[in-house]
Amino acid sequence: MGRGNWGRWVIILAVALGSVWYLIPTYYSFFVLPKAQRNDEKVLQARLPRWAPSARHRLNLGLDLQGGIHMVMRVDTQTALQKRVERRGLQIVNYLRDQHIEGVTYAANPEKLELTLKAPDAATLDKVEKELKGFEDFTRVGRAPDALTYQLKDTQVSRFREDAVDQAMLVIRRRIDKWGVAEVDVRKMGTDSIQISLPGQQDPEEAKKLIGTTAQLEFRMVDEKSNHFSQLVAGHPPPADSGIRLVRTSGYEQLEGKDREQLLAYARQNVADNRQVLLQCVTAQAQGATCDSYLAYLVDKAVPLTGESLAGADASRSQTTNDFEVNLSFDTQGGVEFGKLTGDNVGRYMAIVLDDNVNSAPRINERIPNGRARITMGRGAGKTDEQAYQEAKNLELVLRAGALPAPVTVGEIRQVGASLGDELVRKGSLAAIVGLALVVAFMAVYYRKSGLIADVALILNGILILAGLALFNATLTLPGIAGFVLTLGIAVDANVLINERVREELAAGKSPRAAVDQGYDRAFWTIFDAHVTTLIAGFILLSTGTGPVRGFATSLIIGLVASLFTSIVVTRAITTYFVHGRGAQVSV
Amino acid sequence: MQILKHKTNIDFIGKRKPALFISTVLNLAILVGIAIFGFNFGVDFAGGTVVELKFDHPIRADEVRARAEKAQLHDVSVQGIGSSSDNSYLLRLGGVTQLTQESAVTAKQALEGLGGVTAFHADVQNGLINFRTAKKVDPDKVKEVVSGAGTGVKEVRSLGTAQGGGEDYQVVASGMADRITSAMAKGLAKPDFRVQRIDYVGPQVGNQLRNKGIAALLYAMLAILVYVAFRFDFKFGPGALLAMVHDVIMVSGYYLVSRREFNLTSIAVLLTITGYSINDTIVIYDRIREEMARYKGKPLPEIINIAVNDTLSRTILTSGVTALSLIGLLIFGVGEIWDFAMAMLVGIVVGTYSSVYIASPLTIWLDERAARKKAHGSAMKVRPA
Repeated sequence: MGRGNWGRWVIILAVALGSVWYLIPTYYSFFVLPKAQRNDEKVLQARLPRWAPSARHRLNLGLDLQGGIHMVMRVDTQTALQKRVERRGLQIVNYLRDQHIEGVTYAANPEKLELTLKAPDAATLDKVEKELKGFEDFTRVGRAPDALTYQLKDTQVSRFREDAVDQAMLVIRRRIDKWGVAEVDVRKMGTDSIQISLPGQQDPEEAKKLIGTTAQLEFRMVDEKSNHFSQLVAGHPPPADSGIRLVRTSGYEQLEGKDREQLLAYARQNVADNRQVLLQCVTAQAQGATCDSYLAYLVDKAVPLTGESLAGADASRSQTTNDFEVNLSFDTQGGVEFGKLTGDNVGRYMAIVLDDNVNSAPRINERIPNGRARITMGRGAGKTDEQAYQEAKNLELVLRAGALPAPVTVGEIRQVGASLGDELVRKGSLAAIVGLALVVAFMAVYYRKSGLIADVALILNGILILAGLALFNATLTLPGIAGFVLTLGIAVDANVLINERVREELAAGKSPRAAVDQGYDRAFWTIFDAHVTTLIAGFILLSTGTGPVRGFATSLIIGLVASLFTSIVVTRAITTYFVHGRGAQVSV
Repeated sequence: MQILKHKTNIDFIGKRKPALFISTVLNLAILVGIAIFGFNFGVDFAGGTVVELKFDHPIRADEVRARAEKAQLHDVSVQGIGSSSDNSYLLRLGGVTQLTQESAVTAKQALEGLGGVTAFHADVQNGLINFRTAKKVDPDKVKEVVSGAGTGVKEVRSLGTAQGGGEDYQVVASGMADRITSAMAKGLAKPDFRVQRIDYVGPQVGNQLRNKGIAALLYAMLAILVYVAFRFDFKFGPGALLAMVHDVIMVSGYYLVSRREFNLTSIAVLLTITGYSINDTIVIYDRIREEMARYKGKPLPEIINIAVNDTLSRTILTSGVTALSLIGLLIFGVGEIWDFAMAMLVGIVVGTYSSVYIASPLTIWLDERAARKKAHGSAMKVRPA
């Protein structure tokens, strides 16, 4: 062995040992831990010896191999846009009225995202057009004698869509977090889809229900002056066994009852057309899952503000009063509207409504001008700090999670049962072992000693691929196993190329040593080119593929890099060792 | 041990014309076949619902089908997977939601029966009905009437009060998987099967996936072509490209003729084949380049013949060994993986063929054409003098 080869051997040894070292967490997760805890990183970390790599570096099984649900949610931005156009119509008409331009009406064309403003005369229409020049989200697309047509700008549409998807993704992530599923992967896919992986979950209907329900957040004014409820109780007393009673704990009339449907049906009787009854769920414990009773609110039917304008919500403890509070921030437009809403309604109560359920109804103490609002949590009835904090936290979550800007629908669901996953793992590994064994046997028979060298490289290659997958915390899928097998085939290819070349050089009468050197040198670029082209395909697959196919691309890429290393560096070192050593024979 | 004991001296290039002719005819036939018959698209691309059921007792495919028929599930396709002792079947239905053009009409009539419906829009692709009513309606009532009209309802959402007046609602139709499992369990005290797997792809997602797959394939070819042009003489580029196109078409032909499902895995196979089959082409090109340097002045066809012959045992061996590694997958792989291995095998065989018979001859043809043009060009120059 020449001196110059020492470096090469050190590298090979380091890579080989490093690979085995990196497979330790994977070994523990598959063969030491019970199956149920396989994905629990904390448990795994606790079990690993101190000198082992971090539990993060382990091979994961894809959803198709361990069972679970993969789903793609589509964000229905079109519906949300249509509603937005309508809402803007109302806002514009209100704005014009504030500018003393009267008599303007609007009609929305949801299909084209257009808004048509009608005015009683041409002079008013001119004024409208002038006023609306400053509006940045609409462009004028047409003018008739008595009407102006505006369309939502494309830039607005695409920004809205993007924001809607981002926001929906956050909401979904929070909902799943609340669900307590480990190892969830939520990511954006394309322009309007969100991809969710839920390993171990088995019921797609349950998952759809959890993720797909649209929560809609609204701010509505409580009608605290009305005596509707007291009149109702006086005029039509509630059934004695219903437990419905009139309460005034918050400073205005409310009804309380145990049964949701019964209370709602009762409270809704004779409600004025512009009013609506909504219920609040009351729980005795701060984090109770069930409602102990319900409170009925009489609120305005009009929705002056929705969660769409809300930019953020944070629960914290006030520095001055030591009370818990939730700080809200609105976007520019929402801030203006919120300022107007609060200014017009100082002293009244504003109901925060999520999915038609009142969450809370704080009192408006003053006009809130700058798009930042604070909801102070009450400290009545001997609430502990923890309870008060929990309430603030819950409200924060409702405000943030509630602002789902567009309905979401299920675009794709793939669910694999756990037993099928086990079967596929068994069959997949068997298939890989059989393929490997066939190739190893063939090489040994066909090329004898060189074949054995190639076999050593091949097995090292297999270990390298697994270690590479573990290092990058990659996911092994069923197509990934196929990719693993295929790259082993390609790795052998490289050795075949080299050995055939060496044979040719030997046949041309070269010495074994020269034949090996020339064989490797000449084959190098061929092998390199061949690997690069397949790598190109692999990377494109990785960037465009989803789910299991990405798993295939990952093992293909790692496998090709490993194959370059083993076929060019490892086998050469071994072969050179034999050629330069005793007898200088080469067996190809 | 050696496959080819002596150096071969087969005149590959001499037979290039019949080979090219046959290949061209075959490729055109496949393209025409795809245009006429189309692929058997899997749910990945066509959209739809696949449910894999494992029965706890032996059952024949026609019994499964009869059960579906009995429950008014007519267009479901039933396919056994794995060995017959697995008792596993794939049940596939075209739609993803229970909302169809027809059921949307009946649902509309049913909703109008509630009174006050001012607007109605059915989004059949996503299984959504949006409607507006003058007054608030009870979501449970909506669910009841729409279900009664033949569309299973998963959820009725209230979208709130419209600014122009009226209440907006959205009806989300149930998925087809529910329909399949309930149909199969109909009349049984307890289902005699287990749901192993559900695949459910919406048609819009399907279209997106398909377009992305085709785009990926084109990008890959382009990127590989750029690499080949950069590493080799540009005159090798068209040959390599044509070989890639040939391989993709031939493997597509396998999917066309075998009627195996064409899905995301198929795209992965096609991409891998474009990357892999170029390997043989590169081996031969490398050798051609080497021989060109060694035998300066020899005509290109002869050099190519030498190069192809010299690398023949390599070509056969490399492809053979890769094919060998797939055998395990062919024996133990079920469903998707068996399809993968089989298509890969086809790809390896046609890839090897195309390196010899497509890539090399095209290089010669281009070379000859360039030479003729050059000669022609110089003749032109001479004439005016």
